[in-house]
Amino acid sequence: MKKVKYIANGGLAFFEEKEMKKLAEYAKEGWVLEKFAGLGYKLRKGEPQDIEYALDYQKGADDEYFAFFEAAGWSHVCSAGNEIHIFSAPTGTKPIYTDKPTTVEKYEREKKQMGKVALPFFISTVVFWLVGIFNDLGSVPESIAILFQVLGMISLIPLIFTGMPYLSYQWKLLKLRKG
Amino acid sequence: MGRNDSLEMGELTDTAYYILLSLVDARHGYLIMQTIEEMTDQRFQIGPASMYTTIKKLLVAELIQLFDDDDPKRKTYIATEKGIELLKKEVKRRQEMVLHAEEVFKIRGERLI
Repeated sequence: MKKVKYIANGGLAFFEEKEMKKLAEYAKEGWVLEKFAGLGYKLRKGEPQDIEYALDYQKGADDEYFAFFEAAGWSHVCSAGNEIHIFSAPTGTKPIYTDKPTTVEKYEREKKQMGKVALPFFISTVVFWLVGIFNDLGSVPESIAILFQVLGMISLIPLIFTGMPYLSYQWKLLKLRKG
Repeated sequence: MGRNDSLEMGELTDTAYYILLSLVDARHGYLIMQTIEEMTDQRFQIGPASMYTTIKKLLVAELIQLFDDDDPKRKTYIATEKGIELLKKEVKRRQEMVLHAEEVFKIRGERLI
């Protein structure tokens, strides 16, 4: 029988709650999260468990951080780049965030982080495309303009992968502040 | 940081209020959680992520300080003088809020609870 299974990550920045629920469903069937694997998760077959998963963003988390979770009944499952952390606990354990101000901060932190990565790609994409537009006005040699258009296309890709999560966090914060 | 940063407005969130209150004496993280739960008869609970975030904020605002970090997993903290002052101010503010409500209900002839 297969012992290990890899499943896709549906996008933590967009569907955090849904993703955590999905992992809990797998755990009920005995497929327990072991770690992040590439763009997905690695699950290992074991005993069925009635557990919940929770995700936190904390750059440079230290011993004390994990000790707090341990003390509250949340076991550390895995981390990505010591920044994204997943914890699990028996269903019904007190949640990891218990008030709105700190929940807002969680997404503020991650939004800022994502924004820092997205900004240079945003600038380069805009600059490269502007050069392309100026070329239409005939002020730049065509070969350079084509090169810049290609570079603009290339820098659009990382911009999408960082800009979309950025907007998603922004949206989440908007909803949090309203609700 | 955020636009609803209550520390900068000189007000404490409920979480910060209880953490600061339990740090009148030096305590480590887990004991802070326990103290608050006992103090409030389990009515007020603080999750580990909220706890960590709030402690870091109180440290930056110099409302609490590190008391002992021999064991990095069990750092102990204690409220600073500035922290105690703000706590007192906050107690007074909340007391007044309760008083105002009591007055309103008294006039209406309604009993609280």
